[in-house]
Amino acid sequence: MRSILKLITSVFLALNLIGCVKKEVLDDISLIEGIGFDYIDKKNILGTAVIPVYLPDQPPKKTTFSTKAEISKSILQDIQRQTADPIATGSLEVLLFSKTLTEKLGILPLVDAFQRDPSIGSDLYLAVVDGETKELLAGQYGIRGNATYISKLMEHNIKNEDLPQSNLELFLGDFYQEGKTPFIPQLKQIGKNKMKISGIALLKHGKMVDQIAPDKMFFFKLLVDKYSEGMHRVKIESGEAAVRSIHSSHNFELTKRNPAEVTIHLKVNGNIDEFTGQELTPKTIQELQKQFEKDIQKECLKLIQHFKDKQIDPVGIGHFVKTQTRNFDFKNWRENQYKDLVVKIKSEVKITESGVIE
Amino acid sequence: MNSNVPNSKKISPFLVFFLIHTMQSGVGILGFQRIIAKTAGYDAWMSIILTGLVVHILLWMMFKMLKIADGDITSIHTFVLGKKIGKIFSSFFILYFCLFTITVLRSYIEVVQVWMFPELRTFWFTLALLILAIYIVFGGFRTVAGIAFFSIILPFYIDVLFVVIIPYSDFTNLLPIFDHSVKELLLASRDMSFTLLGFETLLFFYPFIQNPERSKKWAHFGALFSTMLCIYLAILAFGFFPEAQLQKNTWPTLAMWKIIKLPFVERFEYIGVSNWGLVILPNICICLWCASRLAKQLFSIRQKTSVTAIAILCLIATSLISTRGQIDLLTTYTGKVGFYFNFIYVPLLFAGTLIAKKVRNREKHT
Repeated sequence: MRSILKLITSVFLALNLIGCVKKEVLDDISLIEGIGFDYIDKKNILGTAVIPVYLPDQPPKKTTFSTKAEISKSILQDIQRQTADPIATGSLEVLLFSKTLTEKLGILPLVDAFQRDPSIGSDLYLAVVDGETKELLAGQYGIRGNATYISKLMEHNIKNEDLPQSNLELFLGDFYQEGKTPFIPQLKQIGKNKMKISGIALLKHGKMVDQIAPDKMFFFKLLVDKYSEGMHRVKIESGEAAVRSIHSSHNFELTKRNPAEVTIHLKVNGNIDEFTGQELTPKTIQELQKQFEKDIQKECLKLIQHFKDKQIDPVGIGHFVKTQTRNFDFKNWRENQYKDLVVKIKSEVKITESGVIE
Repeated sequence: MNSNVPNSKKISPFLVFFLIHTMQSGVGILGFQRIIAKTAGYDAWMSIILTGLVVHILLWMMFKMLKIADGDITSIHTFVLGKKIGKIFSSFFILYFCLFTITVLRSYIEVVQVWMFPELRTFWFTLALLILAIYIVFGGFRTVAGIAFFSIILPFYIDVLFVVIIPYSDFTNLLPIFDHSVKELLLASRDMSFTLLGFETLLFFYPFIQNPERSKKWAHFGALFSTMLCIYLAILAFGFFPEAQLQKNTWPTLAMWKIIKLPFVERFEYIGVSNWGLVILPNICICLWCASRLAKQLFSIRQKTSVTAIAILCLIATSLISTRGQIDLLTTYTGKVGFYFNFIYVPLLFAGTLIAKKVRNREKHT
């Protein structure tokens, strides 16, 4: 008698739990993989969501939905009214913002919804688009869908090339870190079905204030990333060489206070990928190393001077000085000390290999 | 008086490690970084060490008292305060453990509701968890200890998995060290105490330990392990989040998982939060067991009846709490009650026990 009672109770309870939460079958939901935001006017933004439709034995068919709204979640609500299946944000991969929007409104109010939503991972790429995101997303890139294309594009450029580490987590980290300002990559559509990374957008209080050109990205990455890779062309009298950085590291050192002086030690280990001159003797390699060191010094100092003029600090020098100082006063730092800051660059380049030809 | 527990119902001394550690690592561990960083900033890891040290001292006091009174907390109360007043004091702890159960249950369900299923009904989920807990407590203290053992061994991989966030962390956040005053560090230590609460259950299950002398070192190991785990999670969170961002996250430990991406599951929190159910299960079981055992000792009610009664009480209370503000209030109160009990009442009781012992010794001699 007792065992029957137990059985009935447990079945009853199990049935209860099934009814507790809403289930979501993968085939019956629309997975948003990317969202783009465009500027309309001071109050309204245009949101475009990319939802791939998976068909058997074919590349995913892209569908985009655009809608006008005031805040980002109401964009989703409006898109909800357009799609056949309920939408889910769990596999969101990229967030795009048009340049005008980033300059005029700033991206912070838009990012908030994505930071708050527990179903969205923070390993999500952000990018500024030079142009309209709606147009960019209208193209057909690659065979794995547009959002996946963009995230793959950024992923391999971060891993092997000169794009600095960047995702939602690092963006928020930089934003909340006092004495540091965030940056995100910038994309540009260059043909109907082509796009490229066209630099790095520098932000202040969530608004874009400046950008870094693609040819300066190598030096920018050296400054902001602990380890970086990428390629740089070095010119000397006897020819021109392409040096690929295999391993690099950076270290900060506070060498003097009042006014603060920070020395940045940059170490690059690289290989020669290409040389246009006659012969690659140990002497030319020496020369190449020297020239490379000079290039790094010159370009990095230029970048930092530029940041100081614009009153931004993507390198995080303010944060670094704070870690070395007790009772640090950020207000004073921002208003007075940062202007007088002296930065010195000490670079050290070591070319280890020069390919398979003597 | 109460040490007449049959040997077959006792547990081996090393299980005390799991009992102490599991009670300390409940829901508090999911969000303590924010609370301690509020006052002491990123120097707060020192406060954890301080709280940890105090816990060891308190454990030492407890063992000493228990040895003198030879029994559990009811015997200590009788020893110090006499039978009647002792009973009144002991009965307060039934309420204390009810409060503890409610806090653990409600906080965990809140995490599930926020991170996974917003539609989840508090009542039904609590009912299911409590029935499971009652079933375990019916199995006796040995079963409870067994669950405690598994609740640490099985989800242990989660603690290791946190290393994936290291590439995204900047540990210079912790510098400069000693940027806060001693007062701020002490305040953070007090805030930390809620997370490390739970070791007081030793006062209740002591008679169930075989060879209690040998369990001493295991109890201290358990507390040490909890402290280390908290320091580990605090330092990871401090490296991962800048200070301003940490203050925005209600559950920093969970928020760190957002960066983890696995090929077979997009969001790791789903695995983590479900696994956490196993971590909090023994907390509920031990609390229910302690409360029901007290009821049995004080009012001679059958333990099976009292477990059910207490569970129903907890079920009702848990379902009544619904918003973030209320849960926050509940946690704050439980933290306060726990703080006064562990860090103020226990030392007082310790002093009382020593005095009572002296007085009795003198009476014996004269």
